[in-house]
Amino acid sequence: MTILSTLLSYLTANPSPLRLPQTSLHLSQQAPIFLASPESSKDTQETWLVYEQLLLSCLRTGDDTSARLCLQRLSDRFGADSPRISALAGLYDEATAQDRGELEKVCSRYEDMLKEDPTNMPIEKRHISLLTHLSRTEDAIKALTALLNHSPNDAESWSQLSALYFQQSLYAQSIFCLEEVLLILPNAYNIFARLGEVNYVASEKKMEGLVESMKHLARSVELCEWYLRGWYGLKLVTGKILEQKGSERAGVERRKVEGLNEMATKKLTEIVTKARRRDNGWEGFDEAEVEAARLLIDASDAKTVR
Amino acid sequence: MAQIQGQTILRDPQLFYWILFPITIVMVLTGVLRHYATVLMQSAPQKQDIKAIRENRNLLHGVGLRQNLDQISLSSFVARKNYLVAAYQRGEFLKDQENKGKPPANPMTDPAGMDQMMNMLKGNMAMMVPQTLIMGWINAFFSGFVIMKLPFPLTIRFKSMLQTGVATRDMDVRWVSSLSWYFLNLFGLRSVFTFVLGDDNAANQMAAQMSGMNPAGGAGMFAPGQDPHKMFLAEAENLEVVGGQHEWVLDGVIERLLGVPAHN
Repeated sequence: MTILSTLLSYLTANPSPLRLPQTSLHLSQQAPIFLASPESSKDTQETWLVYEQLLLSCLRTGDDTSARLCLQRLSDRFGADSPRISALAGLYDEATAQDRGELEKVCSRYEDMLKEDPTNMPIEKRHISLLTHLSRTEDAIKALTALLNHSPNDAESWSQLSALYFQQSLYAQSIFCLEEVLLILPNAYNIFARLGEVNYVASEKKMEGLVESMKHLARSVELCEWYLRGWYGLKLVTGKILEQKGSERAGVERRKVEGLNEMATKKLTEIVTKARRRDNGWEGFDEAEVEAARLLIDASDAKTVR
Repeated sequence: MAQIQGQTILRDPQLFYWILFPITIVMVLTGVLRHYATVLMQSAPQKQDIKAIRENRNLLHGVGLRQNLDQISLSSFVARKNYLVAAYQRGEFLKDQENKGKPPANPMTDPAGMDQMMNMLKGNMAMMVPQTLIMGWINAFFSGFVIMKLPFPLTIRFKSMLQTGVATRDMDVRWVSSLSWYFLNLFGLRSVFTFVLGDDNAANQMAAQMSGMNPAGGAGMFAPGQDPHKMFLAEAENLEVVGGQHEWVLDGVIERLLGVPAHN
């Protein structure tokens, strides 16, 4: 197999290599080999996709020379003015910046570019994430609302805005943004779970908020049967409801909450045992999440024994 | 049962090499040429300005809300609906707010519309010119030949398809005239082009015609000549109507999950 097809099959197997450190490391180790091979000068769609992914993972792992070369070839091919390439170039500058001053410089360059061409969405998004990174949260929120004003059907931005509002403890706004995401992606189970989590935090242990949160979490595990985060939240929230009295007032019978709690415990136990044994097909879970689920189960067990 | 033994026509075997192959090769080559000519002539997709994008996407926002209203609670939906309906009726998202009520501008004077038309014209030219040339060429050199005999029998209906340019009533349908060979090539080379040029080529006649008919295909919600304000008003009305059918997905989710019948 040639290097290009190796990389392509690797990318098909790991569609988002940036999520895990191992995969980006693996990819960036292949980068010098690929860049030196004659195949890197092929002008096909796949080649350029590979270039983009290599650039990103090289930046992540600190191989700046390979990243520079990838970026150079991409901008030779597509022109440095293309929105996508300019965003990648900006990303490179951000990653290689030495101190805060340089980052601020990149940021003001983004602002100039946006003044020139307000339709350049990739740069607009880079600008926002750089603002977030510089902890200028208020500016980031302002920039995001400006973006959402002209593109209200951008799910990514809505969820980012929700996270920023959540940071600022503006829970109602955060929930609003997550609901907007649902309007664009109606089957996003992770967003339902996130809504449950935000509702839980916002409820301050009041019954109505807890019930709301429980419903959202229940919906998320209805959509995705093995969603660890959803079950975790469901167990936690039902436990809190059972600690208090008066779930009937919020319209849910205690019997049903108990049923949900039992169900969540069962599923969590199953996930935890199988994930820790590394059974076939159960490897994808985040280890920290599995560990947290184990602690939650143990804690509730201890309580019932007492 | 008149022609059991079949007709035999004495042909020069050279006909095969000097007509059948040239026509095929020329057809393939023109297809390839047309593909590259179209690629060359294509103007870069025109950049929309931010206001047009805003107009377009805010309308889509309303459509999204209308389609997925069941995902959010009634109060959230109503709040959004009231905001959007009011904004739509004010014409807040319009590209040019001044001529809100005025009839749409003539699409001929709209530069964006002009550009689109120019593209269409170019596409049509790339299709028409070679076709006319080759048709003339075939007619001048090869008309009236019978070039080959199909190895299988056909019904009489195929006569007009296979024997264009040869006005012989009694000839067996299996004989193919040169002009017909041209037409068969014209319509039947699609898979060859797909093989040579890749999936989304501009060589094919039929595909080019199809896209010529529907130039707007996915380019935007607003075809030139349509009044965006009217579309916003229509969407506002749709939102009002659909509000009556709200049914939250979270209602009864606990019962669904536990597998018990919902309480009513």
